[in-house]
Amino acid sequence: MSIADQERDDILLRRAGKGDEEAFTLLYRRHQGALYRSALRMTGNPWVAEEIVQDVFLMLMRDPRKYDAARGTLGGFLYGVTRNRVLKHLERLPREIPLEEHHENGNGLSIVLKDASSPAIQAEKRERVERVWAAVLELPAEFREAVVLCELEERSYEEAAQVIGCPIGTVRSRLHRGRALLMARLEMLRGAPRRLNAAGVNGFESKREVRNDL
Amino acid sequence: MTCDEFEAIGWDAQSNAPLTDAQRAAAAEHAVSCTHCAALADCWEATRLELRSLAQVTTTAEAPARVEMRLRQQFRAQHHTPKARRTAVVTAWVLAAAAVLVGAASWVNWRTSQNRAVALGPDPGGAHGRSVGPSFGADPQTFMADSELSDFTLLPGVWPGDTDDDAILRVRMQRGALGVLGLPVNEDRANEWIQVDLLVGDDGLPEAVRLRE
Repeated sequence: MSIADQERDDILLRRAGKGDEEAFTLLYRRHQGALYRSALRMTGNPWVAEEIVQDVFLMLMRDPRKYDAARGTLGGFLYGVTRNRVLKHLERLPREIPLEEHHENGNGLSIVLKDASSPAIQAEKRERVERVWAAVLELPAEFREAVVLCELEERSYEEAAQVIGCPIGTVRSRLHRGRALLMARLEMLRGAPRRLNAAGVNGFESKREVRNDL
Repeated sequence: MTCDEFEAIGWDAQSNAPLTDAQRAAAAEHAVSCTHCAALADCWEATRLELRSLAQVTTTAEAPARVEMRLRQQFRAQHHTPKARRTAVVTAWVLAAAAVLVGAASWVNWRTSQNRAVALGPDPGGAHGRSVGPSFGADPQTFMADSELSDFTLLPGVWPGDTDDDAILRVRMQRGALGVLGLPVNEDRANEWIQVDLLVGDDGLPEAVRLRE
């Protein structure tokens, strides 16, 4: 790690506020990946994720004083801003989007598998990933967020609760419901319906009930 | 462990979630004994694997390079444009101030030269020039000589009087021109150019002459 990498975020931010472009670029490179992945996993749309990341850093560029170092890390602050923008974006979208639309637009589930396996295995993997991503994107935002944080980003319940700003019990509850909905959806997409009433959820027919529970 | 308890912690028992060893063991034991919960555990495992594969695909995803490019461009526009504008404004003010200073200095110089000309006396092309210069074929370039009057020779027909208002003009003329003033001239050297001081009265006519070596 170079000396520049070791510089603290708040120092870099102060320098960027004074017009140091290299400091701003360093901050961007340090945080953009996590923010982009988070936005991408939540929205499933690379264009939207790109726009959100750009907006977040534009906000930071225009008003760096919004970040208060006493209240936490810059990464946490940026993640929170990204999360708010993602949720706002999801609020504007219709809740249920047919899977076909994602593929027709070409911007929904553009997955690139980088491995040396045979084309058949790659196709199978691609199909599986697209299926699970479609199922994740079908989840209500609250459940999706819990699943993304705990299952895809492998954060602990405590970390997820801190990010979302709710008690750990709420995270557990949302995760439990989210997993149940996810499994039901995946079963449906696999075309092999199995009896899944373990979590009190029978496919998507109970999605409305779950939302009402919130 | 009951099926409800298994459903509550079964997923966590298969993952790295913080559970006690006893809870993990109880969950595993229940999955062996209950076919329903065993099927559920299999389903969880399949789902977890699929989530892993999704996480793996997106784990290296990063914002495209064009985002950084756009942000840097915006950064430059935000921070460098005001600086350039400030520099231009400062430069313009400095140039304006310099122009004013140069103008003022030029005016002061002009005023000073005017005052000096007034202090030195009338213009050589004026009354003295008309009476002395052209009439004696003198060099138009004239100077004020020193005010020492002791070496002057009065011209014939001139009475010594008050010389307070007289002026001394230094002129260059041919020696022969002294004859016009009534002075004796060596004819052999009549064409020789000499420099003389003329004492000019307030009426503009020469009253005395002094030869300069």
